[in-house]
Amino acid sequence: MSGQHAQEEKIRLGDMEVLKSDLLTLNMGPQHPATHGVLRVEIKTDSEIVVEATPHLGYLHRCFEKHAENLDYRGVIPFVDRMDYLAAMSMEWGYCLAVEKMLGTEVPKRAEYIRILIAELQRIASHLVYFGTYGIDMGAFTTFLYCFQDREEILRLFEELSGARMLYNYVWIGGVWNDINDDQLRRVKTFVDRFEGELKKYHQLVGENKIFIERTANVGVLTKEQCFDYGATGPVLRGSGVEWDLRKNRPYGMYEKFDFNVVTGKGEKGTVGDCWDRYYVRIFEMFESIKIIRQVLEGIEEGPVMGKVSKIIKVPAGEIYMRTECPRGELGYHLISDGGKTPYRLKVKSSCFTHTSMLPIIAPGQMVADLVASIGSIDIVLGEVDR
Amino acid sequence: MHNEIASKLNGQVSGSNAVANIATVGDSSVMVEAGKILEVCKALKAEGFNVLQAVTGTDYADRIELTYILADFTNNRELLLKTKLGRGDGSGNNKDTLPKIDSVVSVWNAANFQERETYDMIGVNFVGHPDLRRILTPDDWQGYPLRRDYVVQEKYLDMVVNPAHKINSADHMFGKKLKEEIGDPKKVSASWKSNDADESEDAKDGE
Repeated sequence: MSGQHAQEEKIRLGDMEVLKSDLLTLNMGPQHPATHGVLRVEIKTDSEIVVEATPHLGYLHRCFEKHAENLDYRGVIPFVDRMDYLAAMSMEWGYCLAVEKMLGTEVPKRAEYIRILIAELQRIASHLVYFGTYGIDMGAFTTFLYCFQDREEILRLFEELSGARMLYNYVWIGGVWNDINDDQLRRVKTFVDRFEGELKKYHQLVGENKIFIERTANVGVLTKEQCFDYGATGPVLRGSGVEWDLRKNRPYGMYEKFDFNVVTGKGEKGTVGDCWDRYYVRIFEMFESIKIIRQVLEGIEEGPVMGKVSKIIKVPAGEIYMRTECPRGELGYHLISDGGKTPYRLKVKSSCFTHTSMLPIIAPGQMVADLVASIGSIDIVLGEVDR
Repeated sequence: MHNEIASKLNGQVSGSNAVANIATVGDSSVMVEAGKILEVCKALKAEGFNVLQAVTGTDYADRIELTYILADFTNNRELLLKTKLGRGDGSGNNKDTLPKIDSVVSVWNAANFQERETYDMIGVNFVGHPDLRRILTPDDWQGYPLRRDYVVQEKYLDMVVNPAHKINSADHMFGKKLKEEIGDPKKVSASWKSNDADESEDAKDGE
């Protein structure tokens, strides 16, 4: 359909007779502020309406799975960080759980508490990045500054714990690398107390804002059936009204001891499963995370933070599929071991990869600007999509 | 659960040859015949496995093993469904020389991207897939990276793939030197020493 001008064929549009036009092919990305990374979406548009969208992946492909086959079990952890670099702690935890389950390692209680604490803080930090950048997508720049200010406090704590701001290598097989001290725990408490009020304010300012609602309600609707068909998980699935959270339904770590709710989209401002619902789920998940963090701060006990793991890890032959609830959805590690010092095969089931595959069903019939809203609302990190 | 599913599958899909592998370590799985995968998947979807989480392949010396990871969100179950294929010839970029299996996109749309990834990385031809293109590597890439015998091509579109001046040889040389001088580089730092009782056993395990 390139360049060839059709003879002046006319079609009827309403009560007007207009010239028939060809579809226009546009490339959104790989460098584009709205794709949140190096994603290229090839879109065919009829004036401003998107007719077809095809995502092209692989611009950040590093073949992590091949690397993992040549590394010992501890050496994989820093590589795992580099998948979802906005939620590296959650990535590490899932991997360590898979190996620990195969080894039958007992993790000390304090380490379990610390893991839950950092995973929930990480969830807040990750959702704040979503919230901030989504504000920018919608034309509200101020939220970004507020969110990054709050996220900074979490990153500063992580930096003290692990020595790094984004790629931590903190959760180790058998426990965590370093203990957390009382002063840090006190600061977490001050942070959540302050942040809870702030978050309520943000939600009132942005979520209840008329322009924001106009831009997101009834846009990018995903039904329950579509979500199951495409294998969506996490906030996308919950946004479509399905009450499913691995922390509740298949508890790992010590989540069964904690009291929190699963937030689902209810279609408050529009249809169930639209962009506003996904926004709502993420915001109110942060309140639930705060609840969990408060319980951790109450329940945490003194003790060791590292279990007994032999210096050279050899995982018995077999396989395991371990999934955990990460900020962006379910992350699954399919680990196959042949009894050696390195994994025989380590496949990562990434939720972002799955959600990217849903773009072709969200896009048709939308305005180009709404496609930006939809891509932002499924919240993908390209490091995890391409691995 | 796996034994039940295997016997049910044998009853519903003739020739599926379902066998349950009950594992002592990790997860159990169900192995089926590759030729019947489409019917098996349809039967399992009717059984309640409403979500396909992933399709993944593993390369062994004599076979390729595909794993379909299914989940049931209503009854909270998950299942590893396995099948075996021949290896075919995966050195070039030719779909005809690859092992063939039916695509399950008609059962779950989630299979679309998952199968494309498996095709790209392991080299399996999914017959009946609506859009079987490479997904993570370029369309004209040679070979399938996650195969065990994969060799990186030297040149891609007249560009050298691993140019010598971009390989950090200083690191390699440093490691080599350490090994020659000290024998076991892990003994250098005090942080590797531990008071574990099983240290002697580990030392035997090591180099």
